[in-house]
Amino acid sequence: MTVAGGVIGARVSRAEDVRLLTGRAVFIDDLRPPGVLEAAILRSPHPHARIVRLDTTAAAAHPGVFAVVTGADVKSLVRRPQPLIWRLAPGGPETVAYPLAVDKVLYTGHGLAAVAAVDRATAEDALELIDVEYEPLPAVTTLEQALAPDAPRLHEDWPDNVAGRAVVAQGDVEAAFAGADVVLRETFRFARQWGASLETRGVVATWDPFTSHLDAWVNTQSPHLIRELFAEVLGLSVDKVRVRVPDIGGGFGSKSGFYGDQVVAAVLSRVSGRPVKFLEDRRESFVATVHAREQRIDVEVAARTDGTITGLRGTVHGVLGANFSTVGLSPCWTTAAIMTGPYAIPAVELDVVGVVTNKPPYGAYRGYGLPKANFVHEHVVEALARHLGLDPHEVRRRNFVTEFPYQSPVFVYDSGRYAECLDLCRDAVRRAGWADRVARARAEGAHMGIGYAFHNEVSAFAPSRIVNMSGLDHSGFDEAAVRIDSSGRVTVHTGQTSMGQGIHTALAQVAAHALDVPLDHVTVVSGDTDSAPYTGYGTAASRAAAVGGAAVLNAATRLRAKVLRIAAHVFEASPDDLEISDGVVSVKGVPGRSVTLAAIGDAAYRRPHGVLPDDEEPTLHEREVYDPVNVATAFGCTAVLASVDVETGAVELLGYLIAHDCGTMINPMIVEGQLQGGAAQAIGGALYERLAYDASGEALTRSFAEYLLPTAGVVPPFGINHMETPADHIPGGFKGAGEAGVIGGGAAIAHAVEDALAEFGVRITSLPITPPDLLAAIRAGAER
Amino acid sequence: MKAARFDYVRATTVDVAVDALARGAVALAGGQSLVPLLNARSRRPEVVVDVSRLPLTGVEQDGSTLVLGALTRLRAAETSPVVRRAVPLLAEALTHVGHVSVRNRGTVGGSVAHADPAAELPAVFLALDAVFTARGPGGTREVDARDFFLGPYRTALAPDELLTDIRVPLPPPTARHGLAELSRRPNDLAITAVFTSVTLTDRVVTEARIAVAGAAPTPIRAHAAEELLRGQALTPEVLAGVADAAADATDPVDDVHAPAAYRRDMTAVLTRRALRQAVGG
Ligand SMILES: Cc1cc2nc3c(=O)[nH]c(=O)nc-3n(C[C@H](O)[C@H](O)[C@H](O)COP(=O)(O)OP(=O)(O)OC[C@H]3O[C@@H](n4cnc5c(N)ncnc54)[C@H](O)[C@@H]3O)c2cc1C
Repeated sequence: MTVAGGVIGARVSRAEDVRLLTGRAVFIDDLRPPGVLEAAILRSPHPHARIVRLDTTAAAAHPGVFAVVTGADVKSLVRRPQPLIWRLAPGGPETVAYPLAVDKVLYTGHGLAAVAAVDRATAEDALELIDVEYEPLPAVTTLEQALAPDAPRLHEDWPDNVAGRAVVAQGDVEAAFAGADVVLRETFRFARQWGASLETRGVVATWDPFTSHLDAWVNTQSPHLIRELFAEVLGLSVDKVRVRVPDIGGGFGSKSGFYGDQVVAAVLSRVSGRPVKFLEDRRESFVATVHAREQRIDVEVAARTDGTITGLRGTVHGVLGANFSTVGLSPCWTTAAIMTGPYAIPAVELDVVGVVTNKPPYGAYRGYGLPKANFVHEHVVEALARHLGLDPHEVRRRNFVTEFPYQSPVFVYDSGRYAECLDLCRDAVRRAGWADRVARARAEGAHMGIGYAFHNEVSAFAPSRIVNMSGLDHSGFDEAAVRIDSSGRVTVHTGQTSMGQGIHTALAQVAAHALDVPLDHVTVVSGDTDSAPYTGYGTAASRAAAVGGAAVLNAATRLRAKVLRIAAHVFEASPDDLEISDGVVSVKGVPGRSVTLAAIGDAAYRRPHGVLPDDEEPTLHEREVYDPVNVATAFGCTAVLASVDVETGAVELLGYLIAHDCGTMINPMIVEGQLQGGAAQAIGGALYERLAYDASGEALTRSFAEYLLPTAGVVPPFGINHMETPADHIPGGFKGAGEAGVIGGGAAIAHAVEDALAEFGVRITSLPITPPDLLAAIRAGAER
Repeated sequence: MKAARFDYVRATTVDVAVDALARGAVALAGGQSLVPLLNARSRRPEVVVDVSRLPLTGVEQDGSTLVLGALTRLRAAETSPVVRRAVPLLAEALTHVGHVSVRNRGTVGGSVAHADPAAELPAVFLALDAVFTARGPGGTREVDARDFFLGPYRTALAPDELLTDIRVPLPPPTARHGLAELSRRPNDLAITAVFTSVTLTDRVVTEARIAVAGAAPTPIRAHAAEELLRGQALTPEVLAGVADAAADATDPVDDVHAPAAYRRDMTAVLTRRALRQAVGG
């Protein structure tokens, strides 16, 4: 089903914004239940050490302290270790991690004890009174250190530091390489980065000692998943756990997992008998929230002289943290799963190797493996074109998937018009006059260049049964309920989470469109597992608008049918002869024969007599469970104009154009916001962000003075061009847009830099591109 | 992190402030550097004495000297017509100190007393031979800029001394300035920055000042480079020699943003750029 015109597709401003912009939003830190305590966590100063002695006596005696727990205490109060929901390497070793370290600390910042006190400052005072004796152990922080034959082992019962292996394969790779005209090889490195949001992660947990009921406010993207995992870990039935979600100041995937500190807050509440708030401070967020991106990828590509890519093989090394996050190896597996991107590469064999290091867990961050895959396949396209003397866009075209559905090594791509999207992007570049700008700059001795990257994105995650078979211990459907009340106004209930992205507005648009009611007659309610419909995977994986939107669309469409049946009864007409416009039902072509939704609502709830047909149940309420039959592939092309100062190695971005297709757009303004925010994060990833460690394993980036996010001053203006290829299998034709912006930016920036530095033959194979590294590459090129 | 417990006193007079300092208090001016340090518990004074409301504010020209009250907000100094006219290098350097919101609160004296080796103002004051006035229990003393910066975050101020004003001898009206700063993002603390003030007579340099931030434990003057410049016209060869001499004056360290060698190299690049700006503009 596709939809066009009307409220779907309208650039309406976001209903959420007034509250957010006027300071009326309620974030986790604004919640102060009576008697609430604040928690602080003692964190290891060592990257790897045995805990020889841990004495909390003085801390417990400190005035204002209500509870102190150690890792062992927490372990004794939980039913099982922290859950892993995605097993991609069945039979492979798994880390056994409790919310706090028990015998050994495995990374700088690893929590080992926690205090609940009258306020955070007092809790921190008490942390200083905890007496710990550590026996430092040698640490490994790089892939090479971790894989060295004599490497210190993080988990002593493992044979080595390999956390799992998986394979992504399709076709006959041996034959492809045996018959290749050219074979190119390259190694890529991606630094550790993370999805830093403006608001840090937090929880306010209240344990009811009489009913053993946990009431937790969590600024999470996955309230139902968190509820399930709280229940599993605490040994409660699910009905005993309520998860509520306040306003969220950004998530980016890093708020989607289930964290040990959430359990710690619950345990502290249980021990102290008071509500307990734990909110990461900015400093600890650098070690307490999952990291991401760090990989080394070795690939070989087989091709023909005309640029046709016939084979791809290699290894994705995921440089994981010491313990698994909720999603384990899956972000690195996803890199391999979509390494062929938009290209029809018939033979693929990619190993995925996860390796543990003495660093915080590796988890979700917007893009989820895709930015690395994109960097690799786009580098391959450019390298092949250079090697064969072809235009890289010709190589792209020659290899694009053109027939859909297309079975890639893992995913089935539902639809796409890649060549048209590439043209849309190139036209935008032409209109912007970049080529002239580059020519003029070069004539003046400056170094300016243009780079492109084409991406596709697996969105609308995901068919529940298929993802279960892939090792995911969770579902991918969405439930929605749409109600019209007795005044004719509409309420949409969703399991999706609002975190600044505008999902309430988008879902309201879907319902308003389906019901033909004014947009401001629709309210969206979410954020409480006691009342909200169930969401499988939560608000992540570019699925909220597509899967959540489809569920709302179906429910609202059914509700519309009920409205029409009631109105038909009133008019003694056929529902087919009726129409709804602006909340009024009328008989087509008969002016004056109309009834308002308010009147129908009144009949449905309060005064059915004479209006509601006898066979019609009172109330106006429909519920839908939508489980997609397939993911939906969105796609796009990014073009970047950049200049490089060849004396300093500094890169400046001068222009940034995106052509994008996410199927039917619910609200182009929201799509653009998503693309821009994602692109800003791509810029951060390409040029600034790196979680750095020294040789001994010490963390060097502990604040935003060392970990550089892209600021307004380094983010250029964006130009966005849309096209719409609806997902045929998804009601509404929606595809996801949440992650798109971050995927292609790194490669496009790298290619712009390479183009600017063509005379030096600089090749970018690692991110971020820092001025000292780039200057060294320029100098090496100048010497060649 | 939350600061460790401390007592807070607001000084109403300089004497009260000095008295508090003498009893171990730490001065709080704009708080832009001190408050993060307190919150990280890397500084844990028992008493913080808030000096921000002392009447040590304002900028004025006193004959051939620019006098800045230590508690003048960075933004006030930056936008002061007096500063812009009398010492344009200082006015331009101020636009590089953090963001406007930081400059609205941060003070000129705080930046000097904090003595971050990469900070702009200490280097500018060093380039211009400023004199700092300190008030302690024993009275007032003056310290030349060249004797003031002792190491990273370390100055000649005794713990019981309050910086009260900064006196900058005005460069001659014919002096021209140049500033070249390299930072990762606009308004970040510099990786390296070079500040120059040059006087030319008939295209020949008669006086030159070159100071570098971010390339040594303290801001430094590149004296040998200055010497090479004096009496010369700014040809590319002279420029290259001067730039190399400035780089030789550095003593940088590695950090997460750049290795030492990069900072050294950048000193040469930035010296050339700053000098070109000075003579070209
Ligand atoms: C986001 C951000 C960006 C920044 N970027 C830059 C930058 O680019 N360049 C740069 O140079 N700085 C930068 N800074 C640092 C900051 O601007 C200065 O260090 C700051 O303004 C110091 O002045 P203050 O008045 O805030 O001092 P405070 O923070 O109040 O004090 C700093 C130190 O100086 C001492 N002190 C203050 N006044 C006196 C006095 N009168 N006598 C004796 N001791 C005194 C205090 O005791 C303390 O030790 C930045 C800061 C932030 C938060």
